Amino acid sequence: MGSGTEQEDRFRRVYAGNFEALLAYALRRVDQPEDAADVVAETFLVAWRRSRELPPDDEIKLWLYGVARRVLANHHRGGIRRERLGERLRQRLTAIVTRDPGSEVPQRLAVQDALSRLAETDREVLTLTVWEGLQPREIAEVVGASAAAVRTRLSRARSRMREMVGDDLGSPGHVLDVLTAIVPEEGR
Amino acid sequence: MTDKHLDRMVRDADPYRPDLVARLGGAEQQLLEEIMSTPKLDVVESRAPRRGLPRRLAGAVAAAAVVTGVIGATALLLDQPEGAAPGAWSGPLGLPSSGTGGTGGGYELDLKAAQEHPRLLVGQPGWKITTVYGFAAAEGTIEFVNGNRSVQMNWYKADQYDSYYKDRLDVSKPEPTTVAGTEASVFTYGGGDWAAMLKPIDSSFVELRTSSGWERSEFDALLATVKRVDAKAFLAALPPEVVTPGKVREEAAKVLADIPIPPGFDMSAVNVDGANSPYHFGAAVTGQVTCSWIAEWSRAKEAGDKEAQGQAASALQSSHQWKVLNDMNAEGDWPEVTWDLVDQMIKKNEVPKGYKEGLGCQ
Repeated sequence: MGSGTEQEDRFRRVYAGNFEALLAYALRRVDQPEDAADVVAETFLVAWRRSRELPPDDEIKLWLYGVARRVLANHHRGGIRRERLGERLRQRLTAIVTRDPGSEVPQRLAVQDALSRLAETDREVLTLTVWEGLQPREIAEVVGASAAAVRTRLSRARSRMREMVGDDLGSPGHVLDVLTAIVPEEGR
Repeated sequence: MTDKHLDRMVRDADPYRPDLVARLGGAEQQLLEEIMSTPKLDVVESRAPRRGLPRRLAGAVAAAAVVTGVIGATALLLDQPEGAAPGAWSGPLGLPSSGTGGTGGGYELDLKAAQEHPRLLVGQPGWKITTVYGFAAAEGTIEFVNGNRSVQMNWYKADQYDSYYKDRLDVSKPEPTTVAGTEASVFTYGGGDWAAMLKPIDSSFVELRTSSGWERSEFDALLATVKRVDAKAFLAALPPEVVTPGKVREEAAKVLADIPIPPGFDMSAVNVDGANSPYHFGAAVTGQVTCSWIAEWSRAKEAGDKEAQGQAASALQSSHQWKVLNDMNAEGDWPEVTWDLVDQMIKKNEVPKGYKEGLGCQ
Protein backbone atom coordinates (compact mmCIF):
# COMPACT_ATOMS: atom_id res chain seq x y z
CA MET A 1 0.00 0.00 0.00
CA GLY A 2 1.17 3.53 -0.53
CA SER A 3 2.23 6.28 1.77
CA GLY A 4 0.54 7.28 4.98
CA THR A 5 -1.13 10.17 3.23
CA GLU A 6 -2.60 7.91 0.56
CA GLN A 7 -3.86 5.59 3.28
CA GLU A 8 -5.40 8.53 5.10
CA ASP A 9 -7.09 9.76 1.95
CA ARG A 10 -8.41 6.33 1.20
CA PHE A 11 -9.64 5.90 4.76
CA ARG A 12 -11.52 9.17 4.48
CA ARG A 13 -13.16 7.94 1.29
CA VAL A 14 -14.00 4.59 2.85
CA TYR A 15 -15.46 6.32 5.88
CA ALA A 16 -17.50 8.80 3.87
CA GLY A 17 -18.75 6.10 1.55
CA ASN A 18 -19.76 3.65 4.24
CA PHE A 19 -20.58 5.64 7.36
CA GLU A 20 -24.30 5.71 6.78
CA ALA A 21 -24.51 2.03 5.91
CA LEU A 22 -22.58 1.09 9.04
CA LEU A 23 -24.61 3.44 11.22
CA ALA A 24 -27.78 1.92 9.87
CA TYR A 25 -26.44 -1.58 10.42
CA ALA A 26 -25.57 -0.77 13.99
CA LEU A 27 -28.75 1.14 14.83
CA ARG A 28 -30.83 -1.75 13.59
CA ARG A 29 -29.15 -4.11 15.98
CA VAL A 30 -28.69 -2.30 19.28
CA ASP A 31 -31.14 -1.60 22.05
CA GLN A 32 -29.99 1.93 22.71
CA PRO A 33 -29.15 4.25 19.83
CA GLU A 34 -26.07 5.56 21.58
CA ASP A 35 -24.65 2.05 21.54
CA ALA A 36 -24.66 2.31 17.75
CA ALA A 37 -22.11 5.09 18.05
CA ASP A 38 -19.78 2.70 19.86
CA VAL A 39 -20.25 -0.01 17.26
CA VAL A 40 -19.63 2.38 14.38
CA ALA A 41 -16.65 3.96 16.11
CA GLU A 42 -15.08 0.65 16.92
CA THR A 43 -15.66 -0.75 13.45
CA PHE A 44 -14.02 2.19 11.73
CA LEU A 45 -11.26 2.21 14.30
CA VAL A 46 -10.43 -1.35 13.30
CA ALA A 47 -10.46 -0.23 9.67
CA TRP A 48 -8.21 2.72 10.50
CA ARG A 49 -5.73 0.56 12.31
CA ARG A 50 -5.68 -1.87 9.40
CA SER A 51 -5.42 0.85 6.78
CA ARG A 52 -2.63 -1.04 5.07
CA GLU A 53 -4.56 -4.24 4.65
CA LEU A 54 -8.04 -3.12 3.77
CA PRO A 55 -9.74 -5.08 0.98
CA PRO A 56 -10.38 -3.41 -2.39
CA ASP A 57 -13.12 -0.80 -2.64
CA ASP A 58 -15.71 -3.17 -4.07
CA GLU A 59 -15.30 -5.49 -1.09
CA ILE A 60 -14.88 -2.96 1.65
CA LYS A 61 -18.52 -2.64 2.67
CA LEU A 62 -18.94 -6.35 3.25
CA TRP A 63 -15.68 -6.41 5.14
CA LEU A 64 -16.89 -3.56 7.36
CA TYR A 65 -20.18 -5.35 7.98
CA GLY A 66 -18.19 -8.39 9.01
CA VAL A 67 -16.15 -6.34 11.47
CA ALA A 68 -19.26 -4.63 12.78
CA ARG A 69 -20.85 -7.99 13.30
CA ARG A 70 -17.99 -9.13 15.50
CA VAL A 71 -17.98 -5.82 17.35
CA LEU A 72 -21.68 -6.22 17.94
CA ALA A 73 -21.23 -9.77 19.17
CA ASN A 74 -18.74 -8.51 21.71
CA HIS A 75 -21.08 -5.71 22.58
CA HIS A 76 -23.91 -8.11 23.26
CA ARG A 77 -21.70 -10.40 25.25
CA GLY A 78 -21.09 -7.47 27.50
CA GLY A 79 -18.04 -6.75 29.52
CA ILE A 80 -16.05 -5.63 26.52
CA ARG A 81 -14.20 -2.43 27.06
CA ARG A 82 -14.96 0.24 24.55
CA GLU A 83 -13.00 3.04 23.06
CA ARG A 84 -14.48 6.28 24.14
CA LEU A 85 -14.82 7.63 20.68
CA GLY A 86 -17.79 9.34 19.21
CA GLU A 87 -19.24 10.94 22.31
CA ARG A 88 -20.84 13.60 20.16
CA LEU A 89 -22.29 10.98 17.87
CA ARG A 90 -23.68 9.22 20.93
CA GLN A 91 -25.30 12.42 22.13
CA ARG A 92 -26.78 13.17 18.73
CA LEU A 93 -28.15 9.69 18.30
CA THR A 94 -29.71 9.74 21.72
CA ALA A 95 -31.29 13.08 20.97
CA ILE A 96 -32.72 12.28 17.57
CA VAL A 97 -33.49 8.60 17.64
CA THR A 98 -35.01 7.77 20.98
CA ARG A 99 -38.34 9.47 20.71
CA ASP A 100 -39.50 8.16 17.38
CA PRO A 101 -43.19 7.36 17.75
CA GLY A 102 -42.84 5.28 14.61
CA SER A 103 -41.14 2.63 16.64
CA GLU A 104 -44.25 2.29 18.80
CA VAL A 105 -46.58 1.24 16.00
CA PRO A 106 -48.04 -2.10 17.12
CA GLN A 107 -47.54 -3.81 13.79
CA ARG A 108 -43.93 -2.82 13.69
CA LEU A 109 -43.49 -4.04 17.20
CA ALA A 110 -45.06 -7.34 16.22
CA VAL A 111 -42.67 -7.76 13.31
CA GLN A 112 -39.71 -6.80 15.45
CA ASP A 113 -40.84 -9.17 18.13
CA ALA A 114 -41.07 -11.95 15.58
CA LEU A 115 -37.62 -11.05 14.30
CA SER A 116 -36.27 -11.23 17.81
CA ARG A 117 -37.65 -14.74 18.15
CA LEU A 118 -35.83 -16.01 15.08
CA ALA A 119 -32.61 -17.92 15.53
CA GLU A 120 -29.79 -15.44 15.50
CA THR A 121 -28.26 -16.35 12.17
CA ASP A 122 -31.67 -16.64 10.51
CA ARG A 123 -32.51 -13.16 11.71
CA GLU A 124 -29.18 -11.91 10.48
CA VAL A 125 -29.56 -13.27 6.96
CA LEU A 126 -33.12 -11.95 6.71
CA THR A 127 -32.25 -8.47 7.92
CA LEU A 128 -29.07 -8.32 5.86
CA THR A 129 -31.25 -9.18 2.89
CA VAL A 130 -34.06 -6.77 3.55
CA TRP A 131 -32.45 -3.91 5.46
CA GLU A 132 -28.96 -3.92 4.04
CA GLY A 133 -30.09 -5.15 0.64
CA LEU A 134 -27.38 -7.80 0.32
CA GLN A 135 -27.39 -10.82 -1.96
CA PRO A 136 -26.90 -14.29 -0.46
CA ARG A 137 -23.33 -14.50 -1.79
CA GLU A 138 -22.57 -11.17 -0.10
CA ILE A 139 -24.20 -12.23 3.14
CA ALA A 140 -22.11 -15.37 2.99
CA GLU A 141 -19.03 -13.18 3.07
CA VAL A 142 -20.27 -11.11 6.01
CA VAL A 143 -21.33 -14.00 8.20
CA GLY A 144 -18.64 -16.42 7.10
CA ALA A 145 -20.88 -19.13 5.71
CA SER A 146 -21.46 -20.61 2.26
CA ALA A 147 -23.94 -18.96 -0.07
CA ALA A 148 -25.94 -22.18 -0.13
CA ALA A 149 -26.23 -22.15 3.66
CA VAL A 150 -27.34 -18.53 3.55
CA ARG A 151 -30.09 -19.33 1.04
CA THR A 152 -31.31 -22.17 3.21
CA ARG A 153 -31.36 -19.96 6.27
CA LEU A 154 -33.09 -17.16 4.43
CA SER A 155 -35.80 -19.47 3.28
CA ARG A 156 -36.21 -20.85 6.80
CA ALA A 157 -36.27 -17.35 8.29
CA ARG A 158 -39.01 -16.24 5.94
CA SER A 159 -41.19 -19.20 6.63
CA ARG A 160 -40.74 -18.83 10.39
CA MET A 161 -41.66 -15.16 10.11
CA ARG A 162 -44.75 -16.06 8.15
CA GLU A 163 -45.76 -18.47 10.88
CA MET A 164 -45.26 -15.89 13.59
CA VAL A 165 -46.76 -12.77 12.10
CA GLY A 166 -48.88 -13.90 9.18
CA ASP A 167 -52.08 -14.37 11.11
CA ASP A 168 -51.65 -11.44 13.43
CA LEU A 169 -51.21 -8.78 10.85
CA GLY A 170 -53.85 -9.53 8.28
CA SER A 171 -53.16 -8.87 4.65
CA PRO A 172 -49.87 -7.24 3.78
CA GLY A 173 -51.66 -4.46 1.97
CA HIS A 174 -53.50 -3.53 5.11
CA VAL A 175 -50.34 -3.62 7.17
CA LEU A 176 -48.52 -1.40 4.77
CA ASP A 177 -51.33 1.11 4.69
CA VAL A 178 -51.31 1.36 8.45
CA LEU A 179 -47.58 1.73 8.62
CA THR A 180 -47.46 4.28 5.87
CA ALA A 181 -50.00 6.36 7.68
CA ILE A 182 -48.32 6.29 11.05
CA VAL A 183 -44.60 6.43 10.45
CA PRO A 184 -43.86 10.06 11.25
CA GLU A 185 -42.22 12.62 9.09
CA GLU A 186 -38.65 13.12 10.07
CA GLY A 187 -36.82 16.33 10.48
CA ARG A 188 -38.15 17.32 13.84
CA MET B 1 -47.91 -14.09 2.04
CA THR B 2 -45.25 -14.03 -0.66
CA ASP B 3 -41.56 -13.45 0.00
CA LYS B 4 -41.99 -10.00 -1.47
CA HIS B 5 -44.81 -9.13 0.90
CA LEU B 6 -42.94 -10.51 3.84
CA ASP B 7 -39.83 -8.56 2.93
CA ARG B 8 -41.86 -5.34 2.64
CA MET B 9 -43.29 -5.93 6.06
CA VAL B 10 -39.83 -6.47 7.53
CA ARG B 11 -38.56 -3.42 5.69
CA ASP B 12 -41.29 -1.34 7.28
CA ALA B 13 -40.16 -2.51 10.68
CA ASP B 14 -36.67 -1.19 9.96
CA PRO B 15 -35.64 0.93 12.95
CA TYR B 16 -33.34 3.02 10.78
CA ARG B 17 -34.46 6.23 9.14
CA PRO B 18 -32.54 7.16 6.01
CA ASP B 19 -32.38 10.89 6.70
CA LEU B 20 -30.66 10.37 10.03
CA VAL B 21 -27.19 11.29 8.88
CA ALA B 22 -28.36 14.72 7.79
CA ARG B 23 -29.38 15.38 11.36
CA LEU B 24 -26.15 14.34 13.01
CA GLY B 25 -24.87 17.88 12.95
CA GLY B 26 -21.32 16.97 12.04
CA ALA B 27 -20.97 14.30 14.72
CA GLU B 28 -19.83 11.86 12.08
CA GLN B 29 -17.09 14.20 10.94
CA GLN B 30 -15.86 14.56 14.48
CA LEU B 31 -15.80 10.80 14.90
CA LEU B 32 -13.69 10.52 11.75
CA GLU B 33 -11.19 12.94 13.19
CA GLU B 34 -11.12 11.15 16.51
CA ILE B 35 -10.48 7.85 14.80
CA MET B 36 -7.78 9.24 12.54
CA SER B 37 -6.01 10.76 15.50
CA THR B 38 -5.56 7.41 17.22
CA PRO B 39 -2.34 5.53 16.74
CA LYS B 40 -2.23 2.68 14.30
CA LEU B 41 -0.81 -0.34 16.01
CA ASP B 42 0.68 -1.92 12.96
CA VAL B 43 2.10 1.01 11.12
CA VAL B 44 5.15 3.05 11.74
CA GLU B 45 4.53 6.18 9.79
CA SER B 46 7.40 8.20 8.54
CA ARG B 47 5.82 11.32 9.89
CA ALA B 48 4.39 11.99 13.28
CA PRO B 49 0.82 10.83 13.74
CA ARG B 50 -1.69 13.61 13.64
CA ARG B 51 -3.29 14.83 16.73
CA GLY B 52 -6.88 15.49 16.21
CA LEU B 53 -9.48 16.32 18.74
CA PRO B 54 -8.29 16.20 22.23
CA ARG B 55 -10.47 13.79 24.08
CA ARG B 56 -7.45 11.60 23.89
CA LEU B 57 -7.38 7.91 23.86
CA ALA B 58 -5.19 6.51 26.50
CA GLY B 59 -3.75 4.12 24.01
CA ALA B 60 -4.93 0.94 22.56
CA VAL B 61 -3.70 -2.39 23.63
CA ALA B 62 -4.92 -4.60 20.89
CA ALA B 63 -3.57 -7.83 22.23
CA ALA B 64 -5.53 -7.41 25.39
CA ALA B 65 -8.58 -6.50 23.35
CA VAL B 66 -9.07 -3.54 25.54
CA VAL B 67 -9.03 0.01 24.68
CA THR B 68 -9.56 3.00 26.66
CA GLY B 69 -10.76 6.48 27.24
CA VAL B 70 -9.59 9.84 28.19
CA ILE B 71 -5.99 10.59 27.43
CA GLY B 72 -2.50 10.02 26.87
CA ALA B 73 -0.94 7.39 24.74
CA THR B 74 -1.67 9.21 21.54
CA ALA B 75 0.15 12.13 22.98
CA LEU B 76 2.73 9.83 24.47
CA LEU B 77 3.43 8.33 21.10
CA LEU B 78 4.28 11.58 19.49
CA ASP B 79 7.74 12.31 20.61
CA GLN B 80 9.58 9.09 20.29
CA PRO B 81 13.30 9.66 20.23
CA GLU B 82 15.17 7.70 17.63
CA GLY B 83 17.58 5.07 18.79
CA ALA B 84 16.08 4.58 22.21
CA ALA B 85 16.91 1.31 23.89
CA PRO B 86 14.38 -1.45 23.26
CA GLY B 87 11.69 -1.41 25.86
CA ALA B 88 12.73 1.99 27.06
CA TRP B 89 10.19 4.66 27.71
CA SER B 90 9.64 6.85 24.73
CA GLY B 91 6.97 9.21 25.91
CA PRO B 92 7.48 12.68 27.24
CA LEU B 93 11.02 13.10 28.28
CA GLY B 94 11.22 16.18 30.38
CA LEU B 95 13.10 19.07 28.99
CA PRO B 96 16.22 17.40 27.70
CA SER B 97 16.83 19.92 25.00
CA SER B 98 16.51 22.91 27.26
CA GLY B 99 19.75 22.10 28.99
CA THR B 100 18.11 21.90 32.35
CA GLY B 101 17.54 18.18 32.25
CA GLY B 102 14.82 18.67 34.78
CA THR B 103 17.35 19.16 37.51
CA GLY B 104 15.53 21.49 39.77
CA GLY B 105 14.86 25.01 38.70
CA GLY B 106 11.29 24.93 39.98
CA TYR B 107 9.38 28.00 39.02
CA GLU B 108 12.06 29.27 36.68
CA LEU B 109 11.91 26.02 34.82
CA ASP B 110 8.15 26.34 34.55
CA LEU B 111 8.50 29.87 33.35
CA LYS B 112 10.98 28.88 30.71
CA ALA B 113 8.68 26.12 29.52
CA ALA B 114 5.67 28.40 29.50
CA GLN B 115 7.51 30.99 27.46
CA GLU B 116 8.04 28.48 24.71
CA HIS B 117 4.43 28.20 23.65
CA PRO B 118 1.56 30.59 22.96
CA ARG B 119 -0.58 31.27 25.98
CA LEU B 120 -4.27 31.97 25.68
CA LEU B 121 -6.79 32.10 28.49
CA VAL B 122 -10.52 32.63 28.69
CA GLY B 123 -11.08 36.07 30.17
CA GLN B 124 -14.73 35.62 31.11
CA PRO B 125 -15.30 35.12 34.82
CA GLY B 126 -16.48 31.72 36.03
CA TRP B 127 -14.28 29.61 33.77
CA LYS B 128 -12.03 27.12 35.44
CA ILE B 129 -9.22 25.06 33.95
CA THR B 130 -9.92 21.40 34.62
CA THR B 131 -7.57 19.52 32.34
CA VAL B 132 -4.12 20.32 31.04
CA TYR B 133 -1.79 18.15 29.09
CA GLY B 134 0.85 18.29 26.44
CA PHE B 135 2.98 21.35 25.69
CA ALA B 136 5.94 19.07 25.33
CA ALA B 137 6.44 20.74 21.97
CA ALA B 138 4.05 23.02 20.16
CA GLU B 139 1.11 20.82 21.07
CA GLY B 140 -1.09 20.85 24.09
CA THR B 141 -4.62 20.93 25.39
CA ILE B 142 -6.40 22.94 28.03
CA GLU B 143 -10.02 22.44 28.93
CA PHE B 144 -12.00 25.24 30.52
CA VAL B 145 -15.26 24.47 32.25
CA ASN B 146 -18.03 26.74 33.47
CA GLY B 147 -21.08 24.92 34.81
CA ASN B 148 -22.31 22.66 32.04
CA ARG B 149 -20.36 24.48 29.35
CA SER B 150 -16.87 23.61 28.35
CA VAL B 151 -14.39 24.78 25.78
CA GLN B 152 -11.14 23.19 24.81
CA MET B 153 -8.16 24.97 23.44
CA ASN B 154 -5.89 22.79 21.41
CA TRP B 155 -2.47 23.79 20.26
CA TYR B 156 -1.12 22.18 17.11
CA LYS B 157 2.07 22.56 15.14
CA ALA B 158 1.93 25.45 12.71
CA ASP B 159 2.83 23.29 9.75
CA GLN B 160 -0.37 21.30 10.29
CA TYR B 161 -2.56 24.37 9.95
CA ASP B 162 -3.32 23.95 6.25
CA SER B 163 -4.30 20.34 6.70
CA TYR B 164 -6.60 21.10 9.62
CA TYR B 165 -8.10 24.07 7.85
CA LYS B 166 -8.84 21.93 4.82
CA ASP B 167 -10.50 19.33 7.04
CA ARG B 168 -12.69 21.95 8.65
CA LEU B 169 -13.88 23.18 5.27
CA ASP B 170 -15.81 19.92 5.14
CA VAL B 171 -17.52 20.92 8.38
CA SER B 172 -18.85 24.28 7.30
CA LYS B 173 -18.01 27.48 5.52
CA PRO B 174 -15.48 29.44 7.58
CA GLU B 175 -16.47 32.81 8.98
CA PRO B 176 -13.64 35.25 9.58
CA THR B 177 -13.20 36.73 13.01
CA THR B 178 -10.45 37.90 15.33
CA VAL B 179 -9.48 36.17 18.56
CA ALA B 180 -6.96 37.70 20.94
CA GLY B 181 -5.71 39.92 18.14
CA THR B 182 -5.20 37.03 15.74
CA GLU B 183 -7.14 36.32 12.58
CA ALA B 184 -9.34 33.29 13.00
CA SER B 185 -12.05 31.27 11.26
CA VAL B 186 -15.23 30.11 12.92
CA PHE B 187 -16.61 26.74 11.86
CA THR B 188 -20.13 25.58 12.67
CA TYR B 189 -20.55 21.95 13.56
CA GLY B 190 -24.25 22.06 14.29
CA GLY B 191 -25.90 21.06 17.52
CA GLY B 192 -24.74 24.30 19.09
CA ASP B 193 -21.11 23.46 18.62
CA TRP B 194 -18.52 25.82 17.21
CA ALA B 195 -14.82 25.96 16.64
CA ALA B 196 -12.55 28.90 16.07
CA MET B 197 -9.24 28.22 14.42
CA LEU B 198 -6.61 30.89 14.87
CA LYS B 199 -3.93 31.47 12.27
CA PRO B 200 -0.50 30.20 13.33
CA ILE B 201 1.81 32.33 15.39
CA ASP B 202 5.41 31.17 15.57
CA SER B 203 5.43 27.41 15.82
CA SER B 204 1.81 26.66 16.58
CA PHE B 205 -1.82 27.47 16.03
CA VAL B 206 -4.74 27.19 18.39
CA GLU B 207 -8.23 25.86 17.88
CA LEU B 208 -11.01 26.53 20.37
CA ARG B 209 -13.86 24.08 20.35
CA THR B 210 -17.03 24.26 22.37
CA SER B 211 -19.02 21.45 23.88
CA SER B 212 -22.44 21.09 22.29
CA GLY B 213 -25.58 23.06 23.06
CA TRP B 214 -24.09 26.54 22.90
CA GLU B 215 -25.77 29.61 21.51
CA ARG B 216 -23.70 31.33 18.86
CA SER B 217 -23.91 34.57 20.84
CA GLU B 218 -22.37 32.78 23.84
CA PHE B 219 -19.51 31.58 21.70
CA ASP B 220 -18.90 35.03 20.25
CA ALA B 221 -18.99 36.54 23.72
CA LEU B 222 -16.46 34.01 24.94
CA LEU B 223 -14.20 34.57 21.94
CA ALA B 224 -14.20 38.28 22.64
CA THR B 225 -12.70 37.67 26.07
CA VAL B 226 -9.96 35.25 25.05
CA LYS B 227 -6.66 36.89 25.79
CA ARG B 228 -3.02 36.28 25.19
CA VAL B 229 -1.07 36.37 28.45
CA ASP B 230 2.53 36.25 29.56
CA ALA B 231 4.14 33.17 31.04
CA LYS B 232 3.63 34.27 34.63
CA ALA B 233 -0.07 34.89 34.20
CA PHE B 234 -0.40 31.62 32.36
CA LEU B 235 1.26 29.64 35.12
CA ALA B 236 -0.79 31.44 37.73
CA ALA B 237 -3.97 30.40 35.94
CA LEU B 238 -3.11 26.72 35.97
CA PRO B 239 -4.69 24.78 38.81
CA PRO B 240 -2.15 24.02 41.54
CA GLU B 241 -2.38 20.28 40.98
CA VAL B 242 -1.08 20.55 37.41
CA VAL B 243 2.40 19.12 37.27
CA THR B 244 4.65 21.60 35.54
CA PRO B 245 8.29 20.83 34.70
CA GLY B 246 9.58 22.29 37.93
CA LYS B 247 7.41 19.95 39.99
CA VAL B 248 8.16 16.78 38.06
CA ARG B 249 10.84 15.39 40.34
CA GLU B 250 8.90 15.92 43.54
CA GLU B 251 5.65 14.58 42.10
CA ALA B 252 7.34 11.61 40.44
CA ALA B 253 8.81 10.60 43.78
CA LYS B 254 5.33 10.66 45.29
CA VAL B 255 3.91 8.56 42.48
CA LEU B 256 6.74 6.05 42.74
CA ALA B 257 6.60 5.77 46.53
CA ASP B 258 4.82 2.40 46.59
CA ILE B 259 5.87 1.12 43.17
CA PRO B 260 8.64 -1.49 42.83
CA ILE B 261 11.44 -0.01 40.77
CA PRO B 262 12.76 -2.10 37.84
CA PRO B 263 16.45 -3.00 37.74
CA GLY B 264 18.43 -0.25 36.09
CA PHE B 265 15.55 2.20 36.27
CA ASP B 266 16.83 5.63 37.21
CA MET B 267 14.22 7.29 39.38
CA SER B 268 15.98 10.60 39.18
CA ALA B 269 15.76 10.48 35.38
CA VAL B 270 12.00 10.29 35.36
CA ASN B 271 10.71 13.24 33.49
CA VAL B 272 7.37 14.16 32.11
CA ASP B 273 7.44 17.00 29.71
CA GLY B 274 5.08 19.90 29.50
CA ALA B 275 2.25 20.67 31.87
CA ASN B 276 -0.01 17.85 32.90
CA SER B 277 -3.01 17.22 35.08
CA PRO B 278 -2.35 14.59 37.74
CA TYR B 279 -4.07 11.90 35.69
CA HIS B 280 -1.88 12.49 32.67
CA PHE B 281 1.19 12.76 34.83
CA GLY B 282 0.36 9.52 36.62
CA ALA B 283 -0.13 7.78 33.27
CA ALA B 284 3.22 8.97 32.01
CA VAL B 285 5.12 7.89 35.11
CA THR B 286 3.44 4.52 35.54
CA GLY B 287 3.86 3.96 31.81
CA GLN B 288 7.60 4.36 32.17
CA VAL B 289 7.77 1.90 35.03
CA THR B 290 5.49 -0.63 33.37
CA CYS B 291 7.46 -0.51 30.12
CA SER B 292 10.66 -1.19 32.02
CA TRP B 293 9.18 -4.07 34.00
CA ILE B 294 7.77 -5.69 30.87
CA ALA B 295 11.15 -5.33 29.17
CA GLU B 296 12.77 -6.94 32.20
CA TRP B 297 10.20 -9.76 32.24
CA SER B 298 10.84 -10.37 28.57
CA ARG B 299 14.60 -10.33 29.00
CA ALA B 300 14.44 -12.74 31.92
CA LYS B 301 12.15 -15.07 30.01
CA GLU B 302 14.49 -15.19 27.03
CA ALA B 303 17.47 -15.75 29.27
CA GLY B 304 15.68 -18.52 31.12
CA ASP B 305 16.11 -16.58 34.36
CA LYS B 306 13.03 -17.87 36.14
CA GLU B 307 13.71 -15.98 39.31
CA ALA B 308 14.05 -12.61 37.63
CA GLN B 309 11.00 -13.35 35.49
CA GLY B 310 9.02 -14.15 38.62
CA GLN B 311 10.14 -10.96 40.28
CA ALA B 312 9.11 -8.93 37.27
CA ALA B 313 5.76 -10.70 37.18
CA SER B 314 5.17 -9.95 40.86
CA ALA B 315 6.13 -6.34 40.39
CA LEU B 316 3.74 -6.00 37.47
CA GLN B 317 0.95 -7.75 39.33
CA SER B 318 1.46 -5.37 42.21
CA SER B 319 0.20 -2.65 39.85
CA HIS B 320 -3.28 -3.56 41.06
CA GLN B 321 -2.25 -2.05 44.38
CA TRP B 322 -0.32 0.99 43.15
CA LYS B 323 -1.91 3.94 44.81
CA VAL B 324 -1.58 6.24 41.85
CA LEU B 325 -3.42 3.86 39.55
CA ASN B 326 -6.18 3.34 42.06
CA ASP B 327 -6.48 7.09 42.50
CA MET B 328 -6.70 7.53 38.73
CA ASN B 329 -9.22 4.79 38.22
CA ALA B 330 -12.33 6.89 38.62
CA GLU B 331 -11.13 9.41 36.11
CA GLY B 332 -10.25 7.23 33.17
CA ASP B 333 -9.19 3.90 31.81
CA TRP B 334 -5.45 4.09 31.96
CA PRO B 335 -5.22 1.98 35.12
CA GLU B 336 -7.43 -0.73 33.73
CA VAL B 337 -5.54 -0.83 30.47
CA THR B 338 -2.36 -1.33 32.44
CA TRP B 339 -3.88 -4.03 34.60
CA ASP B 340 -5.49 -5.85 31.70
CA LEU B 341 -2.24 -5.81 29.81
CA VAL B 342 -0.22 -7.11 32.73
CA ASP B 343 -2.76 -9.80 33.58
CA GLN B 344 -2.95 -10.98 29.99
CA MET B 345 0.80 -11.12 29.75
CA ILE B 346 1.20 -13.24 32.82
CA LYS B 347 -1.73 -15.47 32.01
CA LYS B 348 -0.52 -16.19 28.49
CA ASN B 349 3.15 -16.12 29.41
CA GLU B 350 3.91 -13.87 26.48
CA VAL B 351 4.37 -10.19 25.88
CA PRO B 352 1.12 -8.84 24.44
CA LYS B 353 1.38 -7.51 20.92
CA GLY B 354 0.98 -3.81 20.73
CA TYR B 355 1.84 -3.11 24.33
CA LYS B 356 4.61 -0.74 23.36
CA GLU B 357 2.26 1.40 21.36
CA GLY B 358 -0.37 1.21 24.05
CA LEU B 359 1.94 2.28 26.82
CA GLY B 360 4.17 4.43 24.68
CA CYS B 361 7.27 2.29 25.07
CA GLN B 362 9.81 2.20 22.28
